[in-house]
Amino acid sequence: MRNPLTVLKRLVSDSGDARTDGGTASSGTSLLSRDSIRSAPFWLPPFLLVGLFVYGAILWNVVLSLTDFQGLGDPNYGDLDFENYVVAFDGGTPSWTDYSIDPIWNATQNTVVLMVAFAIVCLALGLLLAILVDQQIRFENTFRTIYLLPMSLSFVVTAKFWLYMYDYNTGLVNIALGAFGFGPIEIVQNPDLKLAAVAFALIWQYSGYAMVVYLAGLRAIPSSHFEAARVDGASTIRMYWRVIIPQLRTATVSALVVLVVFSLKAFDFLFSMYGGYNPGPSADILATQMVREAYGNQNWAYGSSIAVVLFLMALAVVAPYIYSQYRQGQL
Amino acid sequence: MTDDTNRISRRTVVKTSGVAVAAGLAGCSGSDDGSDGIQLLHAWSEGDGNAAIAALIEGFQEEHPDIEFSEDPVDGAARSNLDQVISNRLQSNDPPSTFQTWPGKTLEKFGDAYADIEGDVWNDDLKNNYRSGPQEQAQLDGTYVTVPINIHRINNLFYNTAVVEEAGVDPTSWSSPSDVVDGCAQISEETDAVPFAHQTSSAWSTSQLWETVFLAMAGADGYDDFLNGEGDESTVEDALANVVELEEYFPGNSSSIGFTEANTMVQEGEAAFIHQGDWAAGAYSGNDSFNYGEDWDYVPYPGTSGSYLLNMDSFPYFDDNPTPEDTKTFLSYCGTTDAQIRFNREKGSIPPREDADVSQLNQFQQDQFDHFTNADAQPPSIEHGLGVVPQVKTNISEAFSAFIESYDAGATAGDLVGAFN
Repeated sequence: MRNPLTVLKRLVSDSGDARTDGGTASSGTSLLSRDSIRSAPFWLPPFLLVGLFVYGAILWNVVLSLTDFQGLGDPNYGDLDFENYVVAFDGGTPSWTDYSIDPIWNATQNTVVLMVAFAIVCLALGLLLAILVDQQIRFENTFRTIYLLPMSLSFVVTAKFWLYMYDYNTGLVNIALGAFGFGPIEIVQNPDLKLAAVAFALIWQYSGYAMVVYLAGLRAIPSSHFEAARVDGASTIRMYWRVIIPQLRTATVSALVVLVVFSLKAFDFLFSMYGGYNPGPSADILATQMVREAYGNQNWAYGSSIAVVLFLMALAVVAPYIYSQYRQGQL
Repeated sequence: MTDDTNRISRRTVVKTSGVAVAAGLAGCSGSDDGSDGIQLLHAWSEGDGNAAIAALIEGFQEEHPDIEFSEDPVDGAARSNLDQVISNRLQSNDPPSTFQTWPGKTLEKFGDAYADIEGDVWNDDLKNNYRSGPQEQAQLDGTYVTVPINIHRINNLFYNTAVVEEAGVDPTSWSSPSDVVDGCAQISEETDAVPFAHQTSSAWSTSQLWETVFLAMAGADGYDDFLNGEGDESTVEDALANVVELEEYFPGNSSSIGFTEANTMVQEGEAAFIHQGDWAAGAYSGNDSFNYGEDWDYVPYPGTSGSYLLNMDSFPYFDDNPTPEDTKTFLSYCGTTDAQIRFNREKGSIPPREDADVSQLNQFQQDQFDHFTNADAQPPSIEHGLGVVPQVKTNISEAFSAFIESYDAGATAGDLVGAFN
């Protein structure tokens, strides 16, 4: 049994005469001999599958968000409008329900605050850890593993773990504060600290990841750069600030993208920590509001429009990264 | 030669992966079409619930050995997960035979998908023997669509007798929610124990505490007005204010613990009281050194002694039923005393049928059943989905997740009354 593609190609090309000039080939042959076509069996199936199940689903979700789909039954695609987005920004009672619907501002604000705080602190901490670990210290591998290990835990484990850490009576955080003469303080349901507590736990979990990315970046910088800076009399701080950190731009951007996407997925964490998709107004994020609307209230179309907003936020972060990669010819 | 071998092995690889892909795709499209048995979906995948559903099915199969059963537990986060599965199946026109759901207003969620079972299942025997409260909850807009199998009571105040006696308080003499606050103050002064074991890591315990206190303050009629969206905001706020007063007596770490830990505090003598549904007592029955009447006792939550605040599970009937006759046979069985005794003996709740022979249940259940049959009112729980439609329930849950952050009675009262709009 021959490769069916080869057979097919022969069937087409055999119809023409053998070429001796090595130049003008018939159009059919040229189409089939193109690399992109010849490699189609390899890229086409995954392309179609991803196209259908990822991008197709996103597109479908966008269309769904324009309908009035609520409750059971099928969405009516004949009547599309932007009502759900108006409701998402202004609140009020849309035409498809008797109940007033909460706008997304509170959840959006929490989502952005969580995203920015989490990403910036994670990067800063990761960079610091990477620089420390990079100092040719003893047990370097051990330290690296210790810092990276929390990332291997699932959000469910981390959430339960931090619930104990924040315990008013016996939690390590309050015991530590007590050692400095503070507290104990209520953390888990404290409206002023709730979101910070969530961000802190996520930072604990993911700063190790930022460290590994930065460490790889640091190792890629030739040691001659360090030596040259030293010879020119730069202090350690100045050396890192002016010579090393500017070279970590690519590492920063790629770590940032991953971290931001993780922060958008903090749903699992909140779900486990607060026993459901109702973490309370001061820790409510778009993901929890989306699930509450879609599965709690069966407001499918409205849930979809929240999902679209969430998607656009993720895209706003990822798109510049992809564009800069494209500009540098890395795509 | 080498080349040949390579080619064969490559072909084998292609074949094998082809078969694997085909099998994978078949797995995707495969459904439970193969089995014709009753598809009962439930979230009782462990503990007392699992024992109860197993006992129920065993009893059913003793009577109807010819009817097959493909019982399908839905693992994961209890009921919300189950509802998602049902919702997805209904969207694809593939409902199961029946599933575990709260009756009452929760039925509106899949309202159009249910069918009338009056006559076939809800015959005169059931109508004569279910009390009016549970019977009302079995109906969706006046149509019988589901069969309640058990009743958990929400308005209980459990206590550790040793702690209560040490402090010299007598809960049996209390008659209003403010007595509970005073009693907690006395516990706090006289003992080292936490007066009121309560969890606030999620909002449901506080929500059901409020509905109990509100029932005590507004009475069954005022409670009913609230369910109809005409609640008296000042009484709603008074009830919330009472909860705020109680909050002082919650464990310091209430936001980091769950129901199980709170309930354990009462068993260990670290706390005096807990307000919970009677599943709390189910946990005590597993503890040999913690006995009803000696080590622990309970009163109907002060001010609500004439009411039995209902939380029920039920099995509804889907219109587009995969096994119409068998499902009706099963639901009819669930309406019998035999089924309800088997189920509730394991579940720790009580049967909804008044004529059930409860001598096989434990003493606590018998006492509860006695309260139930003598109760003047059987109002439906809000937190447990019987009293309000899902959208309102979500609004109320949101209000309480804000309440346990700030304990702002005024703002929450506005949210609760506004939950119906």
